[in-house]
Amino acid sequence: MSALNLGLLYTLAWRNVWRNRRRTLVILLAIALGIWSMVTLAALMRGMIEQQVLNTIKNLTGHIQVHAMGYRDDPAIDNSMPPPGAAILEAVRTEDVRAWAARVRVPAVVASERESAGVTLVGIDPEAEQGLSFIADAVTEGRRLESAADHGLLLGRKLAERLETRLGKRVVLMSQDIDNDIADRGFRVVGIFDADMEATETGYVFVGSTIAQDMLKLGDRVSQLALVVDDRDNLDAVLQRLTDAAPGLDVQPWTKLEPMLVLIVKMYDGFMMIWFVVVFLAMSFGLVNTLLMAVFERTREIGLFQALGMRPRLMLGQVLLESLTLLMIGVVVGNVCAWATIASLDEGLNLSAFAQGFELYGLSSIIYPLVTASDVLTANLVIIVLGLIASLYPAWHAARYVPVEAITRT
Amino acid sequence: MMLKVTQKCVGRIMFYKLGCQLAALLLYVCATVQPSYADEAVDLIKAAINYWRDVSSYSVVDMTIHRPDWQRTMTLRVWTRGEKRSLVRVTAPAKDAGNGTLLVDNKMWTFSPKINRVIRIPSSMMYQSWMGSDFSNNDVARSDDLVYQYTHKLIGTENREGRKVFVVESVPFDSAPVVWGKEVIKIRDDYVMLEHAFYDQDMVLVKKMVTLEVKEMGGKQIAKLERMQKMDKPDEWTQILVIEARFGINMPATTFTLSNLRNPRQ
Repeated sequence: MSALNLGLLYTLAWRNVWRNRRRTLVILLAIALGIWSMVTLAALMRGMIEQQVLNTIKNLTGHIQVHAMGYRDDPAIDNSMPPPGAAILEAVRTEDVRAWAARVRVPAVVASERESAGVTLVGIDPEAEQGLSFIADAVTEGRRLESAADHGLLLGRKLAERLETRLGKRVVLMSQDIDNDIADRGFRVVGIFDADMEATETGYVFVGSTIAQDMLKLGDRVSQLALVVDDRDNLDAVLQRLTDAAPGLDVQPWTKLEPMLVLIVKMYDGFMMIWFVVVFLAMSFGLVNTLLMAVFERTREIGLFQALGMRPRLMLGQVLLESLTLLMIGVVVGNVCAWATIASLDEGLNLSAFAQGFELYGLSSIIYPLVTASDVLTANLVIIVLGLIASLYPAWHAARYVPVEAITRT
Repeated sequence: MMLKVTQKCVGRIMFYKLGCQLAALLLYVCATVQPSYADEAVDLIKAAINYWRDVSSYSVVDMTIHRPDWQRTMTLRVWTRGEKRSLVRVTAPAKDAGNGTLLVDNKMWTFSPKINRVIRIPSSMMYQSWMGSDFSNNDVARSDDLVYQYTHKLIGTENREGRKVFVVESVPFDSAPVVWGKEVIKIRDDYVMLEHAFYDQDMVLVKKMVTLEVKEMGGKQIAKLERMQKMDKPDEWTQILVIEARFGINMPATTFTLSNLRNPRQ
């Protein structure tokens, strides 16, 4: 097929596209709508997933955690571990580890004058949590913890409401110390923190790690070590280093610590693919129908072309080019619309009206769409490639006419 | 000349006297008033608790739990020795008979014959109600905190039925495992505790234990009838009526043991 032929075919295809303007516009709208829905929905879903992953990682998970063996099955005080030794410190004080912290983390009961609630007591070194977990900048009322020896306590807003207490008042924390005796202590609430999820606000109370160790008679032992690296999908090197540095300890990446989350991410990927296919199927019927109509309308014309010497494969090419033109215009319009939609959602899509249901799944109420090259590429490729394949049927039809029959058909 | 000197002397003496008085007054204020008030208050609290506990005690009490739509009475036998040991056993009604609670060194166990198990009360259950009453497990277990975890102040005295009643305000330390803002305790001059009021940290009264009847039992005056009342629920209360009490008695060493909790020997 020479360049001249291609030029000729393209001219023919282009003119044929606009022969029936209304029909073309309708199918263009269908293609554009399909692409728009694919890209926009993919961006929203990606945004949702990404946020969920980020939330979970910031919610005291980090990218890698080190525990004593058995802590993950039973996060009790018995499963504490000695403070990070020289080898571990060397493994985490490297370029690629962005932040790390050792924490005390045990179940406890917090009580006010009127109510009590079960929580997870987290003893933190506030400086180390910077860039590692949400608590570093979640305090919206009062002050943060100033050091590991800070005598104050941070309470979630929802929990404070539930306990009928507030900033500046005292609460009592009660837990089991290392000898399995009751450990309790009064704390003044020095800060109230807000979190995206209600479960975080009601599930955790934060105190200085030294104070927590003191209260629980832990000495300098801790419950866990958490760290974040530069790239969460590239953990192997750090993981290997830590595993070597901490024999006898349980070193796990976030994908193992939060298997549910990994599963949810996979599930969303599946959803997206299903959505792509459904949209394509709906659209392809329209496309094939349009092209078939165009071919049937031009039966005599096609017969004439062939009688004049146009080869069947050029006929095939003409219809495919027509289809490609339709697809390309539709795809461009669809992508532009999708981009405009996503750009307008830059501030985030606020779904707080349904937030309570959302929180069940660990989602936050505002979705920030996230466009990834691979999603956009997949959507466009699915439409164009599968669209062309679907158009093979009308094109094949056109190429198979017998000229005499076609010309004489009325 | 002479007159002048005398006047001067007199003036000086007067001044000196005044100075002495001022100094004495200051000394009195500094050295006597504040510490003695505080000391007195601590002593009062200690004395009242010691008076109530004695070296050891045995008592039979009826605990009545009152709710708007029901009321029930349990008969309990209580043994105590010192600050750290006590044993409570239910004898009636038959449904609850045999249930027991043992306290040793702030550790708490319960025994229920129905399931034939001794359960150590974990910290997570310390704020739950003790035997369905208006007392929490913590109230029962930690009653001696009052001496060590608070600053006490004598804030006044009252007269009641011709006897002097001391009013002590106790404010918990910041790190004390106590949720209250303050507690106000009224102690009669013979160390019988007449009232124990719990205020929240906004100094609003939350609950109050009031002695309704004082009587001589077991050789001394004790609170025979006490009632614990939550202020926001006026028709819910728990009442403790002492039926029999003996103090300073000898108890076998096995009284406060898990095996005795499980298999009563008295």
